[in-house]
Amino acid sequence: MVARGKKRATRDPDGRVLSPPGYSAIPIKFSEKQRASHYLYAREHRVREGAKSSRPQKRTLFVLNVPPYCSEECLSRLLAPCGPVQSVELQEKPDLVESPKESKSKFFHPKPIPGFRVAYVVFQRPSGVAAALALRDPLLVSTESHPVLSGVHKWIHDYGDSVADPEALRVEVDTFMEAYDKKIAEEEAKAKEEEGVPDEEGWVKVTRRGRRPVLPRTEAASLRVLERERRKRARKELLNFYAWQHRETKMEHLAQLRKKFEEDKQRIELLRAQRKFRPY
Amino acid sequence: MGPAPAREHLRGASGEAEVLEPVLEGTVRKKNKMSSRKRPVAGSQAESLLQPVKLSREELYKEPTNEELNRLRETEILFHSSLLRLQVEELLKEIRLSEKKKDRIDVFLREVNQRIKKVPSTPETELIDQAWLPAGVQVPLHQVPYSVKGSFRFLPPTQVIVVGSYPLSTCTRPNINVDIALTMPKEILQDKDLLNQRYFRKRALYLAYLAHHLAQDPLFGSVRFSYTNGCHLKPSLLLRPHGKDEHLVTVRLHPCPPPDFFRPCRLLPTKNNVRSTWYQGQSHPGDGKPEPPTPHYNTWVLQDTALEYHMQLLSAVLGSAQGLKDGVTLLKVWLRQRELNTGLGGFNGFLISMLVAFLVSTRKIHTTMSGYQVLRSVLQFLATTDLTINGISLCLSTDPSLPTLADFHQAFPVVFLDSSGRLNLCADVTASTYHQVQHEARLSTVLLDSKADDGFQLLLMTRKPMVRSFDHILHVRPVSRLQAACHRLKLCPELQDNGGDYVSAVLGPLTALLEQGLGTRLQLLAHSRPPVPEWDISQDPPKHKDSGALTLGLLLQPEGLTSVLELGPEADQPKASDFRQFWGSRSELRRFQDGAIREAVVWQAASLYQKRLIPHQVVTHLLALHADIPETCVHYVGGFLDALIQGPKETSSTGEEALTMAVRCYDDLSRLLWGLEGLPLTVSAVQGAHPVLRYTEVFPPTPVRPAYSFHEHLRERALLLPRSDKPCPAYVEPMTVVCHLEGSGQWPQNAEAVRRVRAAFQLRLAELLTQQHGLQCCATATHTDVLKDGFVFRIRVAYQREPQILREVQSPEGMISLRDTPASLRLERDTKHLPLLTSALHGLQQQHPAFSGVARLAKRWVRAQLLGEGLTDECLDLVTAALFLHPEPFTPPSSPQVGFLRFLSLISTFDWKNNPLIVNLNNELTVEEQVEIRSGFLAARTRLPVMVLMTPQDRKSSVWTQDGPSAQILQQLVILAAEALPILEKQLMDPRGPGDIRTVFRPPLDIYDVLIRLSPRHIPRHRQAVDCPAASFCRGQLKEPRPSSLMPVLGYDPPQIYLTQLREAFGDLALFFYDQHGGEVIGVLWKPTSFQPQPFKASSTKGHMMVSQGEEVVMVPNVEAILEDFAVLGEGLVQAVEARSERWTV
Repeated sequence: MVARGKKRATRDPDGRVLSPPGYSAIPIKFSEKQRASHYLYAREHRVREGAKSSRPQKRTLFVLNVPPYCSEECLSRLLAPCGPVQSVELQEKPDLVESPKESKSKFFHPKPIPGFRVAYVVFQRPSGVAAALALRDPLLVSTESHPVLSGVHKWIHDYGDSVADPEALRVEVDTFMEAYDKKIAEEEAKAKEEEGVPDEEGWVKVTRRGRRPVLPRTEAASLRVLERERRKRARKELLNFYAWQHRETKMEHLAQLRKKFEEDKQRIELLRAQRKFRPY
Repeated sequence: MGPAPAREHLRGASGEAEVLEPVLEGTVRKKNKMSSRKRPVAGSQAESLLQPVKLSREELYKEPTNEELNRLRETEILFHSSLLRLQVEELLKEIRLSEKKKDRIDVFLREVNQRIKKVPSTPETELIDQAWLPAGVQVPLHQVPYSVKGSFRFLPPTQVIVVGSYPLSTCTRPNINVDIALTMPKEILQDKDLLNQRYFRKRALYLAYLAHHLAQDPLFGSVRFSYTNGCHLKPSLLLRPHGKDEHLVTVRLHPCPPPDFFRPCRLLPTKNNVRSTWYQGQSHPGDGKPEPPTPHYNTWVLQDTALEYHMQLLSAVLGSAQGLKDGVTLLKVWLRQRELNTGLGGFNGFLISMLVAFLVSTRKIHTTMSGYQVLRSVLQFLATTDLTINGISLCLSTDPSLPTLADFHQAFPVVFLDSSGRLNLCADVTASTYHQVQHEARLSTVLLDSKADDGFQLLLMTRKPMVRSFDHILHVRPVSRLQAACHRLKLCPELQDNGGDYVSAVLGPLTALLEQGLGTRLQLLAHSRPPVPEWDISQDPPKHKDSGALTLGLLLQPEGLTSVLELGPEADQPKASDFRQFWGSRSELRRFQDGAIREAVVWQAASLYQKRLIPHQVVTHLLALHADIPETCVHYVGGFLDALIQGPKETSSTGEEALTMAVRCYDDLSRLLWGLEGLPLTVSAVQGAHPVLRYTEVFPPTPVRPAYSFHEHLRERALLLPRSDKPCPAYVEPMTVVCHLEGSGQWPQNAEAVRRVRAAFQLRLAELLTQQHGLQCCATATHTDVLKDGFVFRIRVAYQREPQILREVQSPEGMISLRDTPASLRLERDTKHLPLLTSALHGLQQQHPAFSGVARLAKRWVRAQLLGEGLTDECLDLVTAALFLHPEPFTPPSSPQVGFLRFLSLISTFDWKNNPLIVNLNNELTVEEQVEIRSGFLAARTRLPVMVLMTPQDRKSSVWTQDGPSAQILQQLVILAAEALPILEKQLMDPRGPGDIRTVFRPPLDIYDVLIRLSPRHIPRHRQAVDCPAASFCRGQLKEPRPSSLMPVLGYDPPQIYLTQLREAFGDLALFFYDQHGGEVIGVLWKPTSFQPQPFKASSTKGHMMVSQGEEVVMVPNVEAILEDFAVLGEGLVQAVEARSERWTV
């Protein structure tokens, strides 16, 4: 909770906007009209292990706190004055290890709704990073020359975009399934080849597809087998045959009653504490 | 800077554990205060949570002691479970009078006795000369007509004895009453005092004089008059001690005649003791007409003579048997919870004690029985014995001079004779009161037999106020109208008998009239028994018309409600004229399809809403016709809340018909799907999965008729798109239908591939539906939208094994095991649980036609309180279903109004923390299974959500409440419900009309930190708002139906899109609340935890800024910029962003 009256400053004594150590703050606003601005916190992207091709050392800028209305294209345009931008990547969280990007189908993986994100901006030249870090004037997301849609206009635009093209979808599905069928067919052919052929140590791999299929190796199947065994054993056992068994069942019954009684007592205690026994 | 309490709950301040505090009805205020103080200590919360019992092995298996075995055996024989036994013991402890208080009361009684004996006597005067009465005291009786013969003087009583429940020690806290009988000396009374209320006049004067003397005594805090059991001829004097003991006890003084003073044969029910000449104030015409008997008048005298005798009888029976006393005490609690014990003709503690005495005498109850067994036997007896037909008697003598039971049945509706054989103990009880008692007893016996876990709670601890027990309520106001009704119904003899009390005189005939008229629509008719008034001794006694209003409760029979026809006898039969006379002008001759010509009454009702209100038409018609009570005096409370679920501009229906139309269209579509040719795999099942298809959508869909000019066209796909220069088009929500395809070896066994195959099916489905049936379709990867008869359905193809595939995990050894993943759970919920639930609730609607109304009202209310987002549709539907499947101690509701009241009461009183709400759909769960669910719940409590709903299909995980509500939202809901219930009940029970019924539907807005005002132009459902706007925008719908071949704009609701964006961007910082039905404002609450300054962390900078605090540089939310973001993100929709709280530096 922000207590009032406590002195808080957003600028350091030199009049520069405060930023976390190692970062520099770049103000950003949606347009001229807004009075307050958000701050992008940027620093040069560094990784310990060798430079990856997609995010090269020296040339990559790591930006925190990118507001939801600022898209990849927009960020690229805003930073262009610092130097030509090669690529911009926006994501939910900063990732520690760079994961390989797979191209995702737009039909099956719709774009997530944007929140505040982090960006990796790759400049063509290292000088771009330095120039960006020195930015002091507020960046404007939407200007007269490059208006950015927001609100109702954006939603209407998005609605139009969301209407899928069935033909494109069909093509996508067909190509995927073709590749998938091919993969399966290859696997099958490979399995068939290996069928019954012993490996170097002489072991033969038994699969479900062989002449004598075996149980599938699943947890459910093994549980089923165990359960069957247990039932078989239980059938053979004699109950209430010996005197000690009688005694034990009686004792068990009593123990059940005691347990129930304890439970009930606890319940009553609780109700009493809540004054639930006042009828009116 | 103190936060409002409700706000604090919602926000969930730091350190609050995820548990709920129970909120009891009526104690909300107190609780509020408590919670606004500092957080309770963690320890106390842990205590209020039930935990599984852990007993050590030794404790469980030690040798039992004799005592323990005895107790266990006793429990088994005398109670049905140990829990019940403990509960009954606790209850008795709570309501029994403590020994300490008893001693204090005894001291007070001794004092009273002495003071009474010391009151000086007066000289004899004529009865009509009352000038001797000291000033400052009024005679507590209406002396109409005033003139009577006889004379009176005051002498101290010859005997003062304590009678009633106090000496029997069956009195219950609170409101301890001690009854004292004062025997008047013989010298005061004369032989003919029985006649013409002379005895009652003397009795009243006796009390008035006594009151004057006792009022001057400093011993008493208050001295007031009241009526004995509500009887207007028999006042009693109430004495309360002075000072801090004021609420300890009320002593009631009842003067009574000396024993054997009146000849019993003069007081038989066939005898007359109030002469018409005297009562009507005219000389008897002498036409030889016999005087009408005055059975009630006689009974009231007899009651006074038998006070001491009954006391002896009861103390002989109950005296030494603790079990019987406990039983009587429990029965008194039972009656009081059902509001049966008050007023004239109430089923009071004395009656129930006498009934126990009767059952002891017939050996149905034994003196060794436990209190619980006595309760059970009495309820059993009441449920099976109809005292209105077969009276019972305590009398053993075979004296031929005694009147027979049949004589009593002639004079009284309910007959239960005392051991003298002359006094009917149930003289004032009306037939409908007794039927109500029977009805309650029947419900209670069923409840006891069902071995329900919370039977005790429902039986003895749950209040059953009239407005919550009866489907419709009816006030007759002003009461003075009933006087005219008395004359119309020719009830003069009854008036004479009742001493001018026209309310009690007219009650019997009036209820009989309505019962006959409502016929098969009615299950039970009950009337209110106005509470017994109390007044100061210096005031005149209250008039009959001061008792407010006469309130009747109707419990309806859902089967009877569907017919609009009242079928009479055939025209040529003699009964036809009776029928015509009964219904008056409404009766007409009609020819029926089978050729019969019959008398019949047809009511005007087209929709279910109107049919539910036919009883209103019947009641007003009959009351005006037969009792001369005009429509303006009848205030019928039955359909006020229905206005909330009527669509915009709709007044004649509450939408059940529109829902049925949508369901019928869905049935057609599913038939088309079944018969579709050319699909590679056949359709194995088509299941609905949308609230419309289970009749619980608040506003049913209407067929869409889009105006093309209002939209952008997308010609090549036959689609309409919204236009930015027009207001937002009408909101059309597609109804989800799940379409299962048969299993086949051809399905791939890889999740990604299955999705592609499903997409292929969606495309194929759209193609075939267009080709074979000419329906407009639109396919995407996950669903196919189909436009049929103006309704839009969203068909989702499902493959049964897909959740299984999503669950498969391969261990390093190659073993495939199944583990739930979020994706598999979601898919299973959408394709398996949701259709099952939808079909179960669809079935419930067929059984209980009121289900739809109740569910929609409940949902409407929750959403209007801006909490709709926290509680899923399904969760609210299930809670409503519980009201119908487990109505105990009520019956399933037959009107939305009573169902909604019970919904509020369930939400606010249910102990969500310690109990799962088990909704036994289709009655699939046995008692043992329910016990199992409960114990499983206790063991897994910490892992389960705060609100747990269990169904036969979902016994462990509570699928529908997994994602919400959070503890804070539920707490807020509970508080709101607890506050709304009394307000609404008071409005409905107000005989002057309910006022503004929408009050409880308006949300409190002062708890929010920021309000975002939206522009109505872009709220498509603007007209659905609780307070319907006077003007709104055109939504591009044509008035005339026209076949549309273009797909309308689907699911485009700007406020909802805006909310998702807000939640995505600022969900960590704030909570957003909105009413989807036309809300014009979004409430924003900041989360206090996220406003604590934090050290910099790269992963959580969202919307924050750096500030320096002393030496450190810390992160705080950039509130100013965020407020501007609210406006930017909702450009066009947002009108204004109001930051209202001072608490956040802005």
